[in-house]
Amino acid sequence: MIEARNLSKAYADLHRGQFVALDGLSFTAKPGEVYGLLGPNGAGKTTALRILSTVLQPTGGTAIINGFDVVTQPSQVRAHIGFMSANTAVYDRMTAWEMVEYFGKLYGIDDERLRDRMEHLFDRLQMQEIRDLLGAKMSTGMKQKVSIARAIVHDPPVLIFDEATNGLDVLVARSLLEAVAELRDQGKCIIFSTHIMREAERLCNRVAIVHHGRLLAEGPIDELREKHAQHDLEDLFFDLIRANERRLAGAPAAN
Amino acid sequence: MQLKNVKLIYLREMRDQLRDRRTLFLIAVLPLLLYPLLGTSFFQLTQFLQKVEARVLVVGTRQLRSADWLPPLIRDNRFDLQLFDQPDWHDKIELYSPRDFPDLADDLRKGKSLPIAGAAPQASADEAAFDAAAKQLLDAGKVEAVLVFPNGFEDRLRDVRQALVQRKAAGATAFPEPIILYNSADDKSQVTQLRVDQILRRWRNEVTAENLTASNVPVEATTPFELRPRDMAQMQQRQAAVWSKVLPFFVFIWALTGAFYPAVDLCAGEKERGTLETLLTSPALRREIVWGKLLTVMTFSVVTALLNLGSLGMTGKFVIDNLSKSGAFGATEAMTMPPLTSLLWLAVALVPISALFSALCLACAAFARSTKEGQYYLMPIMLVTMPLMMLPMSPGVELNLGNSFIPVTGMVLLLRSVIEGQFALVLKFVWPVLGVTLICCLLAIRWAEEQFNRESVLFRESERLEIGRWLVHLVRDRQATPSFAQAALCVAIILITQFFVSLSAGMTGEFDFAFLAKAILVSQLACVFAPSILMTIMLTREPAKTLLLERTPRWSHLWLMAVLALALHPVVVAGANQITKIYPVPEATEQIAESIGSALDGAPHWLAALALMALLPALCEELAFRGFVLSGFRHVGHKWWAIALSAVAFGLVHTFLHQKISATMMGMIIGYVAVQTESIWPCVLLHTIHNSLQLSIHKLAQTAELNPSSPVGVLFGGESPLLYRTPSVLICAAVAAAILWRLHGVRYSRTVEEQLEEARQRQDSPLLGA
Repeated sequence: MIEARNLSKAYADLHRGQFVALDGLSFTAKPGEVYGLLGPNGAGKTTALRILSTVLQPTGGTAIINGFDVVTQPSQVRAHIGFMSANTAVYDRMTAWEMVEYFGKLYGIDDERLRDRMEHLFDRLQMQEIRDLLGAKMSTGMKQKVSIARAIVHDPPVLIFDEATNGLDVLVARSLLEAVAELRDQGKCIIFSTHIMREAERLCNRVAIVHHGRLLAEGPIDELREKHAQHDLEDLFFDLIRANERRLAGAPAAN
Repeated sequence: MQLKNVKLIYLREMRDQLRDRRTLFLIAVLPLLLYPLLGTSFFQLTQFLQKVEARVLVVGTRQLRSADWLPPLIRDNRFDLQLFDQPDWHDKIELYSPRDFPDLADDLRKGKSLPIAGAAPQASADEAAFDAAAKQLLDAGKVEAVLVFPNGFEDRLRDVRQALVQRKAAGATAFPEPIILYNSADDKSQVTQLRVDQILRRWRNEVTAENLTASNVPVEATTPFELRPRDMAQMQQRQAAVWSKVLPFFVFIWALTGAFYPAVDLCAGEKERGTLETLLTSPALRREIVWGKLLTVMTFSVVTALLNLGSLGMTGKFVIDNLSKSGAFGATEAMTMPPLTSLLWLAVALVPISALFSALCLACAAFARSTKEGQYYLMPIMLVTMPLMMLPMSPGVELNLGNSFIPVTGMVLLLRSVIEGQFALVLKFVWPVLGVTLICCLLAIRWAEEQFNRESVLFRESERLEIGRWLVHLVRDRQATPSFAQAALCVAIILITQFFVSLSAGMTGEFDFAFLAKAILVSQLACVFAPSILMTIMLTREPAKTLLLERTPRWSHLWLMAVLALALHPVVVAGANQITKIYPVPEATEQIAESIGSALDGAPHWLAALALMALLPALCEELAFRGFVLSGFRHVGHKWWAIALSAVAFGLVHTFLHQKISATMMGMIIGYVAVQTESIWPCVLLHTIHNSLQLSIHKLAQTAELNPSSPVGVLFGGESPLLYRTPSVLICAAVAAAILWRLHGVRYSRTVEEQLEEARQRQDSPLLGA
């Protein structure tokens, strides 16, 4: 269960002055669903998810993950989530097995349980053949598998995927999506950010469309289609963003 | 913090580094190869040097050859073997006669005439031509030196001998002098000259001895006694003295280098490779990450230093053994291996120094965005630490209490004393040295942790350098109170302006009240008041809040502060007295204090003196240090860190060492008052009363002496008239402590960072037991 309450993040920026990356973002994601965070590049998706993973501090608001506050209880939050993004790489000088084992131990799993869990994961993700391969020698797809294994080794109730399919070829991306779907079916609460609409359509129960740090629309995809009378999700997305841009451009003039 | 996690991270980082070929090469392979390689090339060089032979042209030997009464100088076209200290030089000096150079100038071939007896030696045209010819020969590199026996040299020697045998004075005042012509700009020529000089001296001694024998005078007549200096230092001691200076420097430099490269790889490298964010999303606390990495860096630092030491030792031993066999150096005795005990002590001292260097490197490396940027920071770190390591090598710097408070330097000096076996001295200063090293370590580690907690450092993006935009940004996007960096900058600006003002304010005319007033006004208004006020107005959105002017002070607080100032004064005076015992006041400082005192006597009114020396500095300094600087430092998230930092800054801007120390202590107390009362006025009051008491201590002491039964008289009269009695100091300390304790109960407002830190503390504390 993820509950973002009025999350805000402002940076001091040389060019734009106080740059607002997140502006009062609120949403709730429930167990057993994939909550899609859709938005163009720079919309604030990564910032929001970094706050959820407690790597960044919000400048306003907070989020409750599985009952823990990201601001005041960051280590409990981290113990209950699995985080995977385009920015979380695997270690070059560690083998797949060592890497997953290391994080498993950091999560405090005892040795015996960890070994069983890892054997299961390595079988499930078809990673046995890259077990003793160093990160530096892995292909992108292999690295992605290691990252998934690393993120779910402690069987967290909440999973956060931040543009996890970036730069993957079709095959690898598809197998990642399948893995996410399976995790959803296991009852995990998953946040999945992307700017690829097809992925969202395949995977997400509900989506939020974010632009300039604000929530433009939220709800089940079908509901959104009906509400905005636009069948194609990509067109719907495009219309919303365009409208918001026009509104932002017009706002100073209106004042 | 869980040790399990620290260990996990440490083991992973170690494995990671050991799998990195580049690091391994630098840490382990390079030292193992470097010294043997250097040793080999050194050997090549010495072999090459040993082949070098010296050529000497000897002019005027004919006269020596005919004189068989003289001891032999030249035999078989070489100097006589008996004349050499080191026999191997016998074969290395080749002698030439003018016949060996067919195109030799006639002036040289002819030889040189002696100056005529009794007449002043004149530079004749002949002589100039002779010198020119010799110079040409030397410059052409045909010979290394020219040895000239002037014409008539043998006759003169015979005269001297006969005069001696017949017991009458020799006929001439000028002795016949052989001349060695050489070129001091050429090393080879210089060495040859020294050798030839030595040989001739020996030969002269033999001539003298024979002369004396011929005239039946005992040889002792010329040398009635010999000087025989005896070095009482034992061999071990002498070696210890040499090694104790060289080894710490060498080992600590390697400790720094060994820490730096892994630190860059572990922080900047991980950022670059994108694995840092992976680690940050794991449940490991930032503190655990820092400690794990720190221990890794430290391991590499220690191992690098030890490996280098070992490798150098092995190579050194081999080289020294061989050199002493071949006898290439006269001073082989000083070049034996360092004793094993010194090496052990070195290894012990290496641990805290490595810890300090590792934490420093880690903090700098954490700041770097990429490995390339990280490498740039080696130079600044070196610039800061090198002087600290070099200082103990300069002559006359010894272990004393003052030096033991200097980080690194104190440790090197302590180590030296241990190696030299001065254990009494070591016992005396081991605690201050260890204490200072520990404090520096903790500060550096805390700094490294701070770097890992800062988003702007962890997720730093590259930006173009745009000073104009940056300045606009500073003013446009200013915060309610200054940032930590702005507060630090303010301190730096105050220090720099003070430095330049003190440089330019030369003593012109008399040191009277007018001059003093001018100096104080400039230093307070221009150096302290102006920068802090300008920065407050330009860089903060809420100047009144920044300078603690928002709230009107409570009367009760003001009263308390007045009492606190009175109660603190005896304590401060007693403390200052203790400091003077540790660091005696330099004479120059005392003189300045005296001249300030006499200048104040010339004040038009005592109130003017108090306003100038007590009120003005109190007002300016409080606005700067408890206003702007403390407000900025409070963003670190813990009020005591902020208070301590602002107190150190406050201490730094004072001129003399004693002032610096006591001002830092006062700064702690006033800073605490500022945080608790949230108003600048209690601070100003406390500061003013304290300054006034300092100024009038002479007057107070006088009153006390004149009237011992008055209240002031009861307080005073400790060891010296200017000191309070010990009981009064103790009572006053108790009163001051009670007042500070009362302030402790006051509710004060916390900054956002402090609230967050407290919330985190509450969260972390139950985890400690888990």
